[in-house]
Order: sequence, then C-alpha cells, then structure tokens
Amino acid sequence: MIASRTSLRRIGWAALLGVCCALLFALSLKVNALKSDVRRTENRIVALRTETMYLETEYETRSNQQQLSAWNAVDFGYVAPNAGQYLENVRQLAALGKPAGPDAPSPIRVAAAQTEAPGMLPAMVSPLTGKPLGDEDEAAETAPVDHAKAAAGLDDRLGKVERDEPAQVEKVEKPAKAEKPASAKPRP
Amino acid sequence: MNALTYSTALASGRVQLANVRQRSLLVAQVRLLAVLLLFALAAVASVLRIVMLGVVEPAPRSSSLYEALLPSRGEIVDRNGLALARAFPAYALWYNPGALGGGSPLVRPPAEVAHVLASIFPDADEADLRRRLIAGKPGYLARRVLPEQANRIHALGEPALEFPREPDRFYPQGSLAAHVLGFVAADGHGRVGMEEVFDKQLRDPLQRGTPEMLSLDMRVQGALEDELSKGMLETDAIGAAGIVLDVDSGEILALASLPSFNPNRPDQAVNRLVFNKVTNQVYELGSTFKPITVASAIDAGTITNLARRYPATPIQIDGFTIKDSHAMGASLNAPEALIHSSNVVTARIADELGAERLKATMIALGMNERPYLELPGRGFPLFPRDKQWARITNMTVSYGHGIAVTPLHLASAYAALVNGGIWRPATLQKLAAGQAPRGRRVFKASTSARMRQLLRMIAVYGTGRKANAAGFRVGGKTGSAEKPGAAGGGYKKNSVVATFAAAFPMDRPRYVVIVMLDEPKGTAAANGQRTAAWNAAPVVGRVVPRIGPLLGVVPDDSRDIDLTDLAPLIPHGGGE
Repeated sequence: MIASRTSLRRIGWAALLGVCCALLFALSLKVNALKSDVRRTENRIVALRTETMYLETEYETRSNQQQLSAWNAVDFGYVAPNAGQYLENVRQLAALGKPAGPDAPSPIRVAAAQTEAPGMLPAMVSPLTGKPLGDEDEAAETAPVDHAKAAAGLDDRLGKVERDEPAQVEKVEKPAKAEKPASAKPRP
Repeated sequence: MNALTYSTALASGRVQLANVRQRSLLVAQVRLLAVLLLFALAAVASVLRIVMLGVVEPAPRSSSLYEALLPSRGEIVDRNGLALARAFPAYALWYNPGALGGGSPLVRPPAEVAHVLASIFPDADEADLRRRLIAGKPGYLARRVLPEQANRIHALGEPALEFPREPDRFYPQGSLAAHVLGFVAADGHGRVGMEEVFDKQLRDPLQRGTPEMLSLDMRVQGALEDELSKGMLETDAIGAAGIVLDVDSGEILALASLPSFNPNRPDQAVNRLVFNKVTNQVYELGSTFKPITVASAIDAGTITNLARRYPATPIQIDGFTIKDSHAMGASLNAPEALIHSSNVVTARIADELGAERLKATMIALGMNERPYLELPGRGFPLFPRDKQWARITNMTVSYGHGIAVTPLHLASAYAALVNGGIWRPATLQKLAAGQAPRGRRVFKASTSARMRQLLRMIAVYGTGRKANAAGFRVGGKTGSAEKPGAAGGGYKKNSVVATFAAAFPMDRPRYVVIVMLDEPKGTAAANGQRTAAWNAAPVVGRVVPRIGPLLGVVPDDSRDIDLTDLAPLIPHGGGE
C-alpha cells in the first residue's frame, strides 16, 4: 500500500514535471515567435524608413530652390508680394470700407473680361458699398444661375469641340461674352 | 585445521572485500574531486567571463533598430530642418565578369553593350568602355548612377553589369550653399565647409544620429544666389558674393560666393571655385566704410552738429591728393557726404576724429583679425600695421582704402552699426532664443539710432536709391573701390569691387544684406556704369522683397523711420 502510494506520488510528480516542461516549451516557442515577430516588424520599420528617406530625398531634389526658381521664371512668374497685399490688423481692414472723403481721388478699378458662360460666376461685391458691382439690372441678370441655359451652352461647346473645329468654338463663345456687358466697368 | 583454513579463507575474503571497498571509495572520491574541479572550473570561467564582459568589453549597443537606422554619416539640415546633406545609398555600376560563371562574361558582344552604355551615359567614352568590357577585369564602370539609368541598364539583361547601392553623400539642393556645406572627399572626410568643421560629430556613432542644424534658411539662400547670379550675368562680373546676417544674434541666414561648385561632384570642385569670397578673400571695400567713420565721429563727439559744412576741395597730403569722383559743390555736411559718397569730406571728418579713435573703432569691430565664423577658410585682413596711424592712413581708411577685409567683416560691422551698437561674432549654427552671444558695445545706442537715419537717407535720396525696395525701409551704403594691382603699385582704373551694404527694415533693423560684385562691367543693364549704385544696389533691391516676407518682415508703406529732423539738411530732402 505504502509502496503504491509512493509510486503514485512519484508518477504525479513526474506528470507535473512533464506538464511544466510542456508549458515551458510552449512558452519558449511563443516567446521565440514573438521575438521573430518583433524582428520582422523592426525590419519593416527599417525598410519603410529607408523608403521614406529615398522618397523625401527625391522630392527635395526635384523641388530644390534652383529648380523652383527656374520653373517660376519660365512657367509661373510669381513675384514677391507688395505692401498692398498685407493687412496688419482689423483697423486696416476696416479702413478699406471707409467712405471716400470729399476731395479723395476716385478709386482705380480694373476692367475684368467675362470669360465664362453667363450666370456661371457669382456677382462681384464692391468693398466700398457692399453692393454687387455694376447696375441693378445687370446684377439681377447675374445673380440667378440659369442652369438650363448654361448646360445648353456647355453642350453646344462640347459638341463643337468634339468635332474639332476651334474656329466655331470661338464663334459660339463670343456671343456668350457679348450677351452681358463687363460687369465691373470703371465708375464715373 | 579446517577451521583455520576456513578462517584464513574468510579472512582473506574480508581483506579482499575491504580492499574493494577502499578502492571504490577512492575511485568515488577521485570522481567527486574531478566533478568538483569541473564545477569549480566552470564557476571560475563564468566569473572570468562576467568580469571580462563588465570590465574589458564595451557595453552592448542599445538596439539593433537604432543601429540599422543610423546613417553612415550624420545629416546636415538648415534652420527649418530641410536636409542639406545626407548619407544616401546611391547606385554604382560595377562590372563583375564572373557573374555568368565562366565563359564569356557578357551575353551580347562587348562593342554592342559599350554602345548602349554610351547612349545611357552621354559623358562616357565609348572606346574606353569597350576596352574595359573586353579586358574582363572587375571594376566600376560608373561611380554614381541615377535610378532611371539603373533601370535602363537592368533592361539590357546583362548579369555582369551589377548596380550595388553604396553609401554616398548627397546634397539635394545641388550647388546651393556649396561653400557653407563643403563636400566629402574620397577618403570619407569632409572638406572646405561645415562638412570639415563637423567631421568628428558627423562620423561619431553616438552623435551622428541627430542632424547638425545650421543657421541657414534655404529659401533665403536660394533667393540670394538667384539674384546674385542674375546680377553677375547682367554686369558681366567675374564673381559675386552675398551675405544675409541676423543683426541681433549674428546668425548667418544665407552666404553665397559665386561662381560656385556642385558638392555632388567633388571631382569638379577645383580650387578656383571652392575659394570662398565671403570669408576668405579680403577686399578694399571702399565707401561702405564711410558710415563707420561717421558713426565713430558721432560717438566720439567730434560731430555734434550734422548741419556743419566741410569744404569739399581736394586734400593734398604727403604727395597724394584725396579727391572725389565728381564735383559735389564747395562744401558738404555729413549727411550730404554720405548721400553723395564724398571721399574728401569723410577724410576731413576722420582727420578731426583722429587716427587713434578710428583705429580703436576698427579694432572693436574686429577688422584686425580673422572673421569670427566656424568655416575653416578665413582670410586675414590687411590692416595698417603701424602702431600710430599716419594722418594719410587715417584719412584713406576712413573711406575704405588702405584696409582690406572680408565681406563678412563688413556684415558684422553693419550689424553693430544698426542694432544699437553691439558687435557680435557671426555664426553658422542655429542659436536658440536667448542664446545669442553678449557681444561687445562699439557704438552708443543713440549713435546707432542716428546711423539708421543716415543709412536710410542714402537709400531714399542718395546713391542707394535702386536698393530702396518699396515698403521694406531699406537703408545702406554703396561702395565702388578700384582694385589694387595696376602696374606701378596703384589702382586699376577699370576693375572695381562694387559693394552694397544694407540693413532692413530701418525702423527696427532685423537683417543685414551685403552684396558684392567683383569687376562688374558697364553693361547696358547697368546703364553703362561700373559703380555699385547701378549694379550691386539693384540686386539688394530685388533680394530684399523676396526674402523679407520669408523672414517675417512684411512690407508696409505706412511705416518708416523718422527722417524729418535730417531732411532739411539736404537739398530736395523735403525740408523747407
């Protein structure tokens, strides 16, 4: 009896040891798997960082200052901003809406050519009066967008373009311009 | 007998047993000793290893990831973090004849391959390529290959043509700021610029992970170089130099010396191009010294009344005649002398001031020592060496002759003129807020305030009108000095160094801009003139509007320094 109990205990210990060993093995497998996962992620991070560096360098090379200024000289022609393009504070902004004094020179305005089909652009608002530029009847004509007419005009133009007849396109566009006089004409 | 026999037999058996026991005990003890020794040896070995690890061997690196991302050479960035120089694994073209494992190294005939390679690299020598392909020795066919070129070579389908990625130094901005950056030579060490200065840090594994930040702003550098090269082409000058300096901290935002070189091609960086005109070449900078003389006189109290008139007749001294380039009237006051750039009146002011005090000012401005900057090549000024300056020396120095300094000296001096009178060393490293060196006081704050007015007047009414960019309140002084070196030791009549030294905005000066053109010609673009008013001043007038908004100086027509107290002193100055 005693002998069998001892052997049972022995078997129990051995089983426990076996289970522990199995668990340890499983754990070490898991740890190794995680480690290799981490290593793989690290490799991926390195690869991505390197890739980012390549792309960044390429971007910086293509957009270097000399290249930008060469493009600007040929294509864009941007110039440095002047004082009139800056407003320092709200006071300066408010000063723009001040009514002109009795002897003040009339503000200079630039005539704008209408290049879109009628009714495609919202009316320009005068910074001085807050009303749309031009006469009331013109403003009334400008404000509502005549989608049907615009779409028809667009269809017409696209049709012409498809037939590849630039001269006719010009002909169609010109009346469209002429229909409406320039809305921002110089004020008296 | 039997018993005796038995007993002896028994006894001998016992003896034998005892022997066996003893022997096995001995064996066990020996084995135990051996095992113990083994364990002891293992323990000693472990302890030794621990000691070795702890004391002799260096600590293990922090992590493999850090190591993998560590560049082979540290990065250099500008003040906004834009990369100016970085380690970049670029493609090289390597010829490996053994790639096919014996037989002919190439699939196609070498002549055909050489022909295609020559079409990919237009600057390559086809005959040379063919010779090297036939010779069948491994070697570089090209040291640096663009990705597009690598793709085209890959499309050839020749396994013997390999393009390994090799760590290389790459400068994305090309030749921009080349003199500041320098380049990396074939031995892996930096040359010329900050590459040489930072060489140790850039190579140190512990430090190269963090980029070195310069004070340069690449947008400003680009604008300065662009306008300088335009000015140089317009006037057919042989060289040009320019600086943009922060007057309050001494940080250099742009430094250009033209003609320049491309640090990506160190093989083409010949001495003539690598030479830095801003820090290494000394020039007699001429009339740009006049404001320093006037400031020194105001500071010393020898000019108390700016309305006082000085005779403008030529001065005869020690066999020399000091005269002006053109007649400016019988007499001039100090503001008029600056506006019209009169040598005679400046010499008279300096004569009154005395050599001692002018020399002290020049020394306080660092004109007698190499310029303060990190760059390795810094020129030593030609400073009059006499202990006591002669009267004639004092007079010529007052209008910038007989003293030769670098344009950087002039920039630092002008910063002191306008920033309230404090001279600070220039630096190419970005300084954090409040990190600016204390510097030394050269002029009183009141003198500096007066000088701002006078410099602004030159740009509004005088020779600097073409630099007066609308809304930026530019002030500055022209200088057109004839170059020494004519036969007989005099000055060359037709080669000048045209300089414009400016600061803006004058109501609260933030930046000094120096533009210098070396030997400009009187081209149509410069109205047939060689003087700075026609070539260097317009360059400043174009640079300032480009860099001002980038540096936080907004053009404003409604703001300017008050000139009303000085305007009546000059004709057409708005006085009554």
